[in-house]
Amino acid sequence: MDHHTGSGDRVPGTSDPVTRLTLDALVEAAPEPPAGTLSRLLAAARSARPPASAAGFAAPYAARVAAMDALLASAPPEGWSREIVEGWRLQELVAHLAATDSLVAAQMGAPVAGPPVDANDVLGRTAGMIAFVRGQTPEETRADWRGQAEAICGRAASMDPATPVEPGGLSFAIADHLLARMLETWIHTQDAATVLGLSLPRPLPGHIRPTADFCARLLPWTMLLSGMDAGGRALRLTLTGPGGGVWHVPLDVGATAVPDDGSPADAAITAEVAAFCFLLGGRGAPATFPAEVEGDAALARDVLTSAPALSGP
Amino acid sequence: MEAPGTTDDRLLHQRVVGGDESALGELHERLYPLVLGLALRVTRDRVVSEDIVQEVFVTFWQRPLAFDPDRGSLRSWLSTIAHRRAVDHVRTEERRRVSAIGPRLADPESNPPEDWILAADEAARVRQAVSRLPGGLREAIELAYYRGRTYRQTAEELGLPEGTVKSRIRQGLRRLADELADEEV
Repeated sequence: MDHHTGSGDRVPGTSDPVTRLTLDALVEAAPEPPAGTLSRLLAAARSARPPASAAGFAAPYAARVAAMDALLASAPPEGWSREIVEGWRLQELVAHLAATDSLVAAQMGAPVAGPPVDANDVLGRTAGMIAFVRGQTPEETRADWRGQAEAICGRAASMDPATPVEPGGLSFAIADHLLARMLETWIHTQDAATVLGLSLPRPLPGHIRPTADFCARLLPWTMLLSGMDAGGRALRLTLTGPGGGVWHVPLDVGATAVPDDGSPADAAITAEVAAFCFLLGGRGAPATFPAEVEGDAALARDVLTSAPALSGP
Repeated sequence: MEAPGTTDDRLLHQRVVGGDESALGELHERLYPLVLGLALRVTRDRVVSEDIVQEVFVTFWQRPLAFDPDRGSLRSWLSTIAHRRAVDHVRTEERRRVSAIGPRLADPESNPPEDWILAADEAARVRQAVSRLPGGLREAIELAYYRGRTYRQTAEELGLPEGTVKSRIRQGLRRLADELADEEV
């Protein structure tokens, strides 16, 4: 147990030495909670805000859903009418998340929020969902979005992570689609936190790492989509900070980024891991993105310039 | 301005925000005695205090972004909520009693939790309890708390190893807690 005398770990009134002494004595007293205290606490906590429900490959997504839900719980009532991003107010932003999630849910055979899915494209579905939630209270929209996310995690628990699905017409493994959902939910939670003046803690390193890996694997595709031909060339990508790592990224859509194995690379980029994931997600300008570059500077610049190519609203 | 939270605080906060309920369990295990003790000192009622403890942890779980580790420790944050809830409880009880007897002239304004310190009579009881501690424990406590010495300085002044000082302070705190609890219950 930590107790520092004379340290800065202050509780109310601890500028007064006798008060501080009394509080430290209380901590040392360690009375046993009555039987059943913890299970009663957890039951009350669960009904106040559901815990993240997923283990395995859906866990990073489930934790970001729980974090967005915590942000919605912490938002003041007037926060719901604040414009967050893309001209959307908070409720419309939740509708957008629910809309994009619903394309994944429909592909997994999980129940979808809102009207039946008739358009397998993000923009069309978002427009439909935003129209739908006009008749809802913010809490109803929140509950629908959260309930659908629970259903996605529940369905994922019995799926092979490599199962290909194609929400929005993009076919890749369900595990990667949920990492894309993790990243978008994270980014939009940060968007809302910034507008509402709340401080959002980072995801756990164990959840950032697979998301960063997913971003590294997307780089050949963002290059291709941007019309940049880098076939046969390779990048060493160093992402710093908790959850970061080093990757060898062949810039061929036929090849796959792997943890750095010492293979020769034409260029090297070093950047902070969360900032890099956000760049892929369309936050931050490639031209001013803080990164260290070695080797072929033009190639590295092309990689950074094209990085946001797959990001949508 | 509070000192920022510890690395432990930050990790627990990240886990709670991400919906990991085992983090809430760990936090409860670590800070239950402090939160309960704070509530008890204000309400003097164990049953009521247990309810307050639950409310404090549920509030933190439900709205974890209200806490910002850059602005203070978790221990400080939960203590503040606990104290506020306990004072609210006592005031509500008082009002209930008073309204049964008749109106009172003015509702006394108490200090906001940030300014909260032990009441003078309580502080006097704590000081008395300290003076009754065995000499070795008392000396260490007095230097560390009344004179604001670090463990190392206390050890130097007493000519003892730092580990001995730490364990004396800890024993002293435990004795104090026992004695204060005996007086209360």
